[in-house]
Amino acid sequence: MIDFQPFWITFKLAVITTAILFVISVPVANWLSGSKNRLRSVIEATISMPLVLPPSVLGFYFLVAFGPSHGLGKFIEHYFNTRLVFSFPGLVIASVIYSLPFMVHPLQTGFSGLYPSLREASFSLGKSKLHTLFKVMLPNIKPALLTGIVLTFAHTIGEFGVVLMIGGNIPGQTKVVSIAIYDEVEAMNYHAANIYALILFAVTFAILITVYSVNNRYAITRRL
Amino acid sequence: MMLHAFGVAAADKITVAVAANMQFAMEELKNDFEKKTGITVEMISGSSGKLSSQIIEGAPFDVFVSADMKYPEDLYKKGFATDAPKPYATGQLVLWTTKMDLKLNGDLKILLLAAVKKIAIANPKTAPYGIAAIEALNYYKIYDEVKDKLVFGESIGQTQQFIATQAAEVGFIAKSLVLADELKGQGQWVDVDKKAYSPITQGAVILKHGKETNDNPAQKFYQFLYSAKAKSVFKKYGYIVNGL
Repeated sequence: MIDFQPFWITFKLAVITTAILFVISVPVANWLSGSKNRLRSVIEATISMPLVLPPSVLGFYFLVAFGPSHGLGKFIEHYFNTRLVFSFPGLVIASVIYSLPFMVHPLQTGFSGLYPSLREASFSLGKSKLHTLFKVMLPNIKPALLTGIVLTFAHTIGEFGVVLMIGGNIPGQTKVVSIAIYDEVEAMNYHAANIYALILFAVTFAILITVYSVNNRYAITRRL
Repeated sequence: MMLHAFGVAAADKITVAVAANMQFAMEELKNDFEKKTGITVEMISGSSGKLSSQIIEGAPFDVFVSADMKYPEDLYKKGFATDAPKPYATGQLVLWTTKMDLKLNGDLKILLLAAVKKIAIANPKTAPYGIAAIEALNYYKIYDEVKDKLVFGESIGQTQQFIATQAAEVGFIAKSLVLADELKGQGQWVDVDKKAYSPITQGAVILKHGKETNDNPAQKFYQFLYSAKAKSVFKKYGYIVNGL
């Protein structure tokens, strides 16, 4: 029988990454959607880089940046006694960067699609910017939020190239399902690889169906 | 078949799948062979396990130079190789580090130090040198103490990269890699006692694809692997060829 630990690590990684990205992306997307700053294009391009760079390139740069022999990696190793390569925290940071555009883009599109009068009406009623964001704007872009969350979650589950470069394939820590499948194929255990793949497919499909049907029910009730 | 379609004008070419530990030695062999016969050698390197899976799934390789006997034997049993594999060299395992403040010793005790946080080895599921590393750890009875420090390279090549970038303080790799020009002078290494691990007998086979589409050049290359010239190159890279 196969080891189920990779599933646990994969889902843990996906949930934590999605949560962190949500918290980071709401203010960033909000700012980007309203900004007339000249730097806006530069920032948007930087955020989109993980979309175009091959994951192995990202992984390679993480290895160099987070490696404990120099620079940032050495600093973190020395002061926090954590190595960001070959560790779960390292995977989380790498995943956050890797999936950043998958959360920011839908949120930004959502915010941009709101009528400006909605925000202004809230301000004219005396509500603060923070209150407006949480009680007026976010509730009105729920489909965009859902898209961002689902895409980020799915993208992290499918992460392979980055993890291959900096994970070290450590069972119980960095051996995610995509790596486990690759491992079994390399060892010519096609049966085990199949089992991993089928379970992953079934579980993620079930999650997506639940999420989309909840969203559709919400959309229907809204129209009434 | 394509060569026949293009006629005699196309230069002879063969594709050789090479286990990662052989990549540097193979570069030198390739140059010798090309000079001698004019046949171009295209080299594809990876872990023996991965290359075997690819061959089974139809990868167009002519000759397979493995890091063990098990993978080529398996291919032969499944009908992907023309003959049973013959050993061409015996590999040597070494302990390597690029951190100059570590004092390496053949008894592997250095692995127990707190200063050694990560030990890189090749994935024992797919790389014979990884299996040897685990055997050595068991022989010195330190496996249980160090197993939480182990990180697994996808191939001996990635393992070497982990050690070279100091992402892992120390690790087990093939002697042929530390003796190669590319790595000479980088860090320090020490032989792991031969009795600590089963001999890494490395074998090669001509593949079905090679026999069907490229028989003559493939045969020439295969015979070259067992020639006196090849043996001298293997010796230069730390392999043992006595008795083969």
